[in-house]
Amino acid sequence: MLALEKFIVPIGPQHPALKEPGHFEFAVDGETVTSVNVRLGYVHRGIEKATEDRNWAQNLYLLERICGICSHTHALCYSLGVEALAEVTAPPRAQVIRSLVAELERVHSHFLWLGVAAHEGGFDTLFMYSWRDRETIMDVLEGLTGNRVNYSANVLGGVKFDVDEKQRAAIQRGVDYLEERTHHYYKVVTTDSTFIRRTRGVGTLTTAQAEHVGVIGPMARASGIARDVRVDAPYAAYNLFPVNVVVETAGDLEARFVVRLKELLESYRLIREMVDNLPPGDLTVRMPRKVKEGEAISRIEAPRGEAFYFIKSNGGEKPERVKVRTPSLCNFMSIIATAPGHQLADMPMILAGIDPCFSCNDR
Amino acid sequence: MEIIQPIITLLFFPAGLFVMGNGLAYLWVDRKLVAQYQNRIGPRWFQPLADVVKLLSKEEIVPTGIEAWLFNGLPLLALACALTAAVYVPLVGLQPAWSFQGDLIVTVYLLSVVTMSLALAGANTANRFSLIGAVRTLTQLFSYEAPFMLALLGPALVAGSWQISTINAFTGQHWLILTQPIGCVVALVGLMGKLELPPFDAPEAETEIVKGALTEYGGRGLALFQLAKAVELVVGLTLIAAFYLGGIGNPIEFFVKTLAILLVLAGLQSLFARFRIEQTAKWWRFAALLLLVQWLIIALLGGKTL
Repeated sequence: MLALEKFIVPIGPQHPALKEPGHFEFAVDGETVTSVNVRLGYVHRGIEKATEDRNWAQNLYLLERICGICSHTHALCYSLGVEALAEVTAPPRAQVIRSLVAELERVHSHFLWLGVAAHEGGFDTLFMYSWRDRETIMDVLEGLTGNRVNYSANVLGGVKFDVDEKQRAAIQRGVDYLEERTHHYYKVVTTDSTFIRRTRGVGTLTTAQAEHVGVIGPMARASGIARDVRVDAPYAAYNLFPVNVVVETAGDLEARFVVRLKELLESYRLIREMVDNLPPGDLTVRMPRKVKEGEAISRIEAPRGEAFYFIKSNGGEKPERVKVRTPSLCNFMSIIATAPGHQLADMPMILAGIDPCFSCNDR
Repeated sequence: MEIIQPIITLLFFPAGLFVMGNGLAYLWVDRKLVAQYQNRIGPRWFQPLADVVKLLSKEEIVPTGIEAWLFNGLPLLALACALTAAVYVPLVGLQPAWSFQGDLIVTVYLLSVVTMSLALAGANTANRFSLIGAVRTLTQLFSYEAPFMLALLGPALVAGSWQISTINAFTGQHWLILTQPIGCVVALVGLMGKLELPPFDAPEAETEIVKGALTEYGGRGLALFQLAKAVELVVGLTLIAAFYLGGIGNPIEFFVKTLAILLVLAGLQSLFARFRIEQTAKWWRFAALLLLVQWLIIALLGGKTL
């Protein structure tokens, strides 16, 4: 009877391929995967509920700690929502600095992803090199904000720090170096024959499938869907600095590499424009302690896709409800659509291809 | 008194303790080189030794529901076979400790037993990662074994002997890397397949199947397997250096030539993304064909035997 049962290979919640806990059951026939089961929720920390016990300003710091990679995303998305509720608008200079940090964060997130994805494919040299170069952007962020991970750039009604001439030079130096490196990595992932054999035609998600499972962010853009909140509903300073959406149509792992690397180049362009055209003015406006009663939705484009906040106020010092939906949740289902029929050896790369963030997802 | 000489040869020098130490040192060189290629600092010189000592001192947890004697015995078998193989090769440029007509076949066979014990160790568990690792180890064994064997027999053909010391003496005058370049490359890559080095590390790909066949091993068994691999590394390097790089006549030649090969091996390890197991198998089919072509050329141009 045993032979009739499915041979299931578990990946996670404890597994070297995933540094964060998530559970994936791959039913295999020999080396070929026949079906996938996903189980999430291992790192639920009750952050949404915890926001109801803290005041508006305190929540900024709590929500920033939802994720270590896209911490600015959460703080920014929350700030925009609360400011909309309180009918306050941050000054233009603050808006540009917010976008600037968001783009710097995208650069660091995509570099991190590049390394992880290469490591899952057993290409540790690319992993080590890309993470070495990622340090450039981490140093820039540290010089700018004082922190490497939770930058704490936002306050309600503005930003905390200014960008001076010295920091501007440091950003430009860092971006120049990284641009050169990104061109090199682009060449590697599109021409290295052993790497292409692991990425081309692997984990293909057609445009129709992508629409069906509702993927977002770089995943969607790699499958030919031009979906980007920075363009569809510009926030912060993105109406002043329009984004060119990068779209690839192949939908396979290689396309996901290409999309993210081209987005890096686009981010460098934005960063340069932003530091060169910082509008003068204040960094903050006054924010009331109590926020008017009402509901607000704010959406921003995180490195992984659209982050979504629903914020409800009852007119007090604390929010009535904060609901967070992070991009990883929308993308997990694509694994179920793409994995069957592939080799077990491709699973770590397909998993990494969506750039999953479990701590975001579970909160 | 004549009993003491073989005992020293077997237990201390050049086989036994020396070859284990040499293997660990080469393991360090390999790790350090790969680290340097990858822009990392790499481990300190005693790290492989420290790993083995630490593992040896740890408790071995034998999983339930398996053959305990097999679980404990296979690492011993692997190390014993690797050490026995070391006796037949010209370590440190000395004459092999033991030698007879046809010892090349025995050496290659002993090296295969190391891999076989690895696969058996993986099959002898209920662990899913181990089982997949065992299947992959065997698949890889079947794919590289024939080309590796053919690559080592090429020099034997032109030397007209299947005795390692005779071939070594012959290659002392002939650099076969010039006349049989395909064989040299295949032997080199075959050694990587044998040792499951990247990019041929699908049998122990950590992002897929944790540690492959050795997932259940934690203490002594793992240490012995690592030692066996280290010895296998030295034996393999010695064979390739002796057969293709102009033979090994003295200690300087031994160290220079084996380390030169190791330098190339480390470079190859850091250049590529991991091959999927079916990609590995494909690669070897191609290599075996190429070797057969080379054999044909050797035969046509007048190899001594055949």
